[in-house]
Amino acid sequence: MSGEVSSGRKGWKPSLDTWAVILALALALLVRADVFKKIPW
Amino acid sequence: MATSIAVSKVESEKTPAKIFDLVPGILLLAGVGYAGKSLEKFLNTYAKAHHWTFPNIEYVLWAILIGLVISNVLTVPKIFQPGIATYEFWLKVGIVLLGSRFVLADVLKLGGISLALVVIEISLSLVLMHALGRAFHLTPKLTSLLAVGSSICGVSAIIAAQGAIDADEQDSTFAISAVLALGALALFSFPLIGHSLHLSDGSFGLWAGLGVDNTAEATATGALYSDAAGKVAVLAKTARNAMIGFVVLAYAIYWAKRGQAGAVGNKAGFLWKKFPKFVLGFLAISLLVSLHSFTKDQVTSLGNLSRWAFLLTFAGVGLRTNFRQLSKQGLRPFVVGALGEVLIAALTLGLVLGASRIWGL
Repeated sequence: MSGEVSSGRKGWKPSLDTWAVILALALALLVRADVFKKIPW
Repeated sequence: MATSIAVSKVESEKTPAKIFDLVPGILLLAGVGYAGKSLEKFLNTYAKAHHWTFPNIEYVLWAILIGLVISNVLTVPKIFQPGIATYEFWLKVGIVLLGSRFVLADVLKLGGISLALVVIEISLSLVLMHALGRAFHLTPKLTSLLAVGSSICGVSAIIAAQGAIDADEQDSTFAISAVLALGALALFSFPLIGHSLHLSDGSFGLWAGLGVDNTAEATATGALYSDAAGKVAVLAKTARNAMIGFVVLAYAIYWAKRGQAGAVGNKAGFLWKKFPKFVLGFLAISLLVSLHSFTKDQVTSLGNLSRWAFLLTFAGVGLRTNFRQLSKQGLRPFVVGALGEVLIAALTLGLVLGASRIWGL
């Protein structure tokens, strides 16, 4: 799917893909730390 | 609307929407998704209480249908559009979290089978779409975009290729519309064909991942068949998405050599830029689960988080599909796309049936 949005001289700017990975890993970390004890479905 | 969303996605790369602009649309996605989930539960409970024989219609279908009704019968106010366009973001979050439901050994085995089939599928699809494009006298760049969209990854691949080969925005709009319209048809036709052929969950998931172009529709098509098929569809589609950089790079070099696109400088950098990063996130979570970094309950929670993210995606698939807008985009690209898709679907089905005989999917 889509790649990085932009980079270059102005510095690294995360793409939507990267933000999705960051959010998912942050959620996994919160589950691991038992901040979210049980996510129902 | 589909087109306008696709175009706004390109624009959003330049001017990202403010976070507050996204809230109404995200709330609508959540509302539609939750309504679909509640409707499934309500109908099952009602049918059971009244001793009715009622087929279990998955929340996936309800969420998509409610979204379709809203976007095609009513008019979705502009205030909701930026948030609705985030459905692809939730899809990627869901895919990364879905890694928790795969042990790495399964990912390697199924991913390996998928990759082998993906290489065959991409090669045949590219040849086929170019032959059809020539036969129907489409412009070469529109043909390239349709070939990229139908061989790899739908809308995102088309957007990535548009920039790389300097294609017209109108060509990419045509190609995106064809891919979206055909994805909507696949949602309903693939499960019917799968059930009539009594395909196993593994075989159907693999077929959906290989045969349906857009990742959101491939995920929804697999999930419509069964939960297990949905998992396999995501894995197969992820393997297909991983190839995007190579195919777009090949097209970029081809058009640059003809003097009709900018030259590609650093090829490794180009590949990394186009590589879908969520594939790495998916593998990371799968690795962590395989290393027993999470308890059983935590793995269940991660799987459920993935389902919630997909729920928003399925609502978005319905809400962004507007048949009136799609029908305005012209018949020829759609006919080429449709012919190509039918042939690719038949071809991938043959590949999957062959693979299931060899590897027992």
